[in-house]
Amino acid sequence: MQFFFFTLIALISINHTLAESGGGIPFLSSASLHALCPFGGVVTIYQYTATGTFVQKIHESSFILMVIGFFLAVLFGPVFCGWVCPLGTFQEWLGKLGKKLFKKRYNHFIPQKLDGVLRYTRYLVLGWVIYMTAASGTLLFANIDPYFALFNLWSSELAIGGVIVLAVTTLLSLFVERPWCKYACPYGAVLGISNLFRIFRIHRNPGTCNLDRVCDITCPMNIKVSEKILVRDHQCISCLECTSEARCPVAATVEFSAGGK
Amino acid sequence: MKLNSKILAVLIVVILFGGITFTTLMGWWATETSKVPAKYAEGEAAGEYNPADIRGSYTFGDVSTVFNIPIEDLAAAFNLPADQDPAGVALKTLEDIYGDLPTEIGTASVRLFTAWYLGLPYEPEDTDYLPLAAADILRQKGSLTPEQLAFLDAHAVDLTAEAPVSEAAPAVTETPAAVENAAPQPAADAAATGHTPQDRLVTGKTTFQQLLDWGVPQSAIESILGGSIPAPTTIIKDHLSAQGLEFSTLKGDLQAEVDKAAP
Repeated sequence: MQFFFFTLIALISINHTLAESGGGIPFLSSASLHALCPFGGVVTIYQYTATGTFVQKIHESSFILMVIGFFLAVLFGPVFCGWVCPLGTFQEWLGKLGKKLFKKRYNHFIPQKLDGVLRYTRYLVLGWVIYMTAASGTLLFANIDPYFALFNLWSSELAIGGVIVLAVTTLLSLFVERPWCKYACPYGAVLGISNLFRIFRIHRNPGTCNLDRVCDITCPMNIKVSEKILVRDHQCISCLECTSEARCPVAATVEFSAGGK
Repeated sequence: MKLNSKILAVLIVVILFGGITFTTLMGWWATETSKVPAKYAEGEAAGEYNPADIRGSYTFGDVSTVFNIPIEDLAAAFNLPADQDPAGVALKTLEDIYGDLPTEIGTASVRLFTAWYLGLPYEPEDTDYLPLAAADILRQKGSLTPEQLAFLDAHAVDLTAEAPVSEAAPAVTETPAAVENAAPQPAADAAATGHTPQDRLVTGKTTFQQLLDWGVPQSAIESILGGSIPAPTTIIKDHLSAQGLEFSTLKGDLQAEVDKAAP
């Protein structure tokens, strides 16, 4: 499914470039990436509330995707991050290479204390982006957005800031799983809040759990699932990798469910 | 109630694409500008389309349709190339057509022209300029206030060089009226009449180095750009265009920093 969304966005972005030069792939959207980014809806909320207009390059589609993203998050948590986001997929692919290179050390290079603090920097990024967008009325985040850069490497809209951030993200992905998601993604920060009140959650049954910590090792976001009964960590992306269906070796022990169980 | 990954995947796809399909059917889904500007929320013009929301992606045809201004007036006002259908010319191309001018003729100029053509409220920036022909059309309307007329006098640019507009690099030429009526004006007004050094005016040819030389702190420039500046010799407009931003949108903020840093 992640491959599908990655390919879809890549094709649409290529089609956007082709359409601008008079060509294009039939029956495929040629929308700009800005129009298909739910975070565009988030950053334009202030301007839309204040003036009834969208930030430059943001359209109704961004707003709608934002609402759909929130709806999904209330139900299932940040599934957009774990199942849809092409940049997350890109980092995961690089992470597979990192795992081969560094084996068990992969995703454990950063000291735990420092890592714990850094996990909140994405909220600083979120605040900065929202403030700067509201103050300038322009989509300044596009200048450093690695997602936009990744799918515009061939485009004249490519910003050097985005290339630098993408390069850093690419490099870090060989050492840390989903570094952009963990430490910098402002949209992940927004969706992460849903972990506090979402309807479907990761539940661990301590009665059957053998504490082998497979779930901890598996979690791409380094959440210590084995120490929780209910995962409410703001970094959970609902990838379900920790569940009994995927990696947990004990049946019906780590599950994705609503209600008490 | 439990969910496995297959059911979750199906639900995500159904909700995502179902939401897009539903909003498309409702006519809400749009990935491009609707070409319909926002309306004034209050004042005498409440309910009217607001020219301040005109975007660079609009064509002159869009402006003509939405604001009910004859396309001939728009074409004459902005001296659009005769070999093109004026209705199909995008406003953002003005910055390319008149890129060699020392002052900026762009989307902001169309906003100003449209508003005053229709007698709608609009506060121009000191860095807004109009072609001489546009100013003449507005004067002929006979509905401008003395302040607006004075603004036009000081912010009219003569595009009628002998070369075709796409090749010309016409200079700012103050109208006779501008000289005669040269009442004390803000800095940019004075600049247009030649009383303030032209080299402190942010134009389509200004480089980042010039801003720095004029005393604008790098931090102030970067704050406006929302990122670090490129090589100082880069032309600001080129840098913004490469990033998909309209020069006219940020020009006013940059000029304000230049004015603030004035000796």
